[in-house]
Amino acid sequence: MKAEYKIPFILSWKHLLRSNKWTLSLIIFFMSIAFINMIFVPSLFNGIVDGFNKQIITTTTGNILITPRDGKDFISDSSETINRIESTDGVTAASAQMLVPGTLKFDGKKGSWSIYAINPDQEKKVTTVSEKIIDGEYLDPSDETGILLGNDITSTETTNEGDNPFSLKGASVGDTVAVIFGNTEYEFTIRGIFKTKFNTADQRGFITQEALKKMNPGYVDEATSISVTINLEGDEENVMQSLKDRGVRENIYSWQQASSLMSSVSDSFLSINVILSIFGVLIAAITVFIVIYIDISSRRQEIGILRAIGIRPYLIRAMYIILSAVYSVAGVLLGTVLFFAIIVPYFNAHPFVLPIADAKLLVNPGDFIARLETLIWVAIAAGLVPAVTITRTKLLDAIWGSK
Amino acid sequence: MQQQETIIQVNKIFKTYRLGEVHVPALKNVSLTIHKGDFLIITGRNGSGKSTLLRQLGLLDKPDSGEILLKNKDVTKMPERERASIRLKRLGYIFQEYALIAELSAVENVMLPAMMLESSASCRKRAIEVLKKVGLEYKIKNLPRQLSGGEQQKVAIARALINHPEVIFADEPTANLDSIAAKDVLKVFKRLNEHDQSTIVMITHEEEETAYGHRIIKLADGSLV
Repeated sequence: MKAEYKIPFILSWKHLLRSNKWTLSLIIFFMSIAFINMIFVPSLFNGIVDGFNKQIITTTTGNILITPRDGKDFISDSSETINRIESTDGVTAASAQMLVPGTLKFDGKKGSWSIYAINPDQEKKVTTVSEKIIDGEYLDPSDETGILLGNDITSTETTNEGDNPFSLKGASVGDTVAVIFGNTEYEFTIRGIFKTKFNTADQRGFITQEALKKMNPGYVDEATSISVTINLEGDEENVMQSLKDRGVRENIYSWQQASSLMSSVSDSFLSINVILSIFGVLIAAITVFIVIYIDISSRRQEIGILRAIGIRPYLIRAMYIILSAVYSVAGVLLGTVLFFAIIVPYFNAHPFVLPIADAKLLVNPGDFIARLETLIWVAIAAGLVPAVTITRTKLLDAIWGSK
Repeated sequence: MQQQETIIQVNKIFKTYRLGEVHVPALKNVSLTIHKGDFLIITGRNGSGKSTLLRQLGLLDKPDSGEILLKNKDVTKMPERERASIRLKRLGYIFQEYALIAELSAVENVMLPAMMLESSASCRKRAIEVLKKVGLEYKIKNLPRQLSGGEQQKVAIARALINHPEVIFADEPTANLDSIAAKDVLKVFKRLNEHDQSTIVMITHEEEETAYGHRIIKLADGSLV
């Protein structure tokens, strides 16, 4: 190795070792803040989208939704189908729902909501509705007169559009509501009210299959849908294939397919994320560029002196590239520590409360690495540009400033 | 009588600085010869063109016209890369403001130009020897801020000497020093010139310092007088 190649390493090492520690710390701190800025926004949006997706999966569709095959209104013999589903590799649990077309009535107010007849014990394994009871209690499988209502059905809250015209306004646990099924009114007692924060779920009501049998003695083991949860998130396609292989002949949809509207909302969030991320990267890049540019520009005379004593310009540039790389790597390391040791745990403990879901910070490893690389490259460019400029200016101008 | 070897021959150089629309002639038709072993003193009032002339000779700047021959080779037409190589290997330049690298110790500042040419171990050894020569062997590990002005200037002299230059240029090396430190530095130059036959070109406008030189040239308004 040529002796001169050591010069940039020695100069940058001595610079780091002996320059003002306060300035050095400040530069690294700025870099870490810039890096956190770059990863915070995408992590937040990933968290929102993830929270949103989880809401869809855990409150409405499960990972996989099975609906009657084409031309049929019901999945007949649903118990047998559930047994077959649950014995399929990769499946955790399944729950059948039977949509009861009817109208709810309370205290002179009435409206149409989706009421599902379920086996509460099965449903508990598939959705989180049982965990989201805000008043009263969950349904017992043998309950023939109880109903569980979503918060949007009973809410008295005023929405942006004014009073919710479709709410039963103030119906609470213990009150009696009527379910109008066909031309007959069936009285149910509100056992519990749940709030998932996901309005599709919160506009639903649940009764037991036993209650449905009482309302409609002709009902025998049928379902309008079966929600399925799987062991491994993201493995929907494989499990769907396994279900087909196991002889499930109904229509099988992944949660994304089943909630196409919801996934388009997710896509919109991802698009916003991309746009905001570009701005985030741009702002961080400019910050990093300015910080390094100022640091190096303040060493203009030093660069001039190095040139004057015969140090080749490429070695001077290499020195500042090394310095910039060290600044950025140190900034990334500090930013990573601050982010994962303080910011992520804080937001896990205090998630952003959104109308549809609670959002935590979710770091996508791909995004993380891409931003890490971006910051380092930007820092190197930020170091290189002034170093190139100063090593190309007239020597006298570099040492003593422009004449 | 033995003919003196010419190291630098300056022929009719002109240099004009442009300050916006204003053109300020700094050197006008300057010609001179520097011989091996010379201790040439350049004097003149502020703004007379002394530093401008030294920067042309030290290859820090190029004249607008005329030629500067270093051992019969015109250095004004050379690309910057070659001029940098000459500055490194054949010339030593001492600035008025010491111009040391703040984060390098005395010995590291001195060995820096030598590291362009040889391994750092041998550079260090030589740097210590040169620092001894200027009387700073006890402060080799000190950073510039831990040295007095005179000591910093001696480090700058040692740095200029490390690659055995053919000519040493010193631009008012005592301007920022007290009289004792200034004498100390001038003695170093004298010793280098007398014992090592180093060729020295030094700017000063202190009358008593001209006594250290063999030859004195005076500049006024960019011309030799």
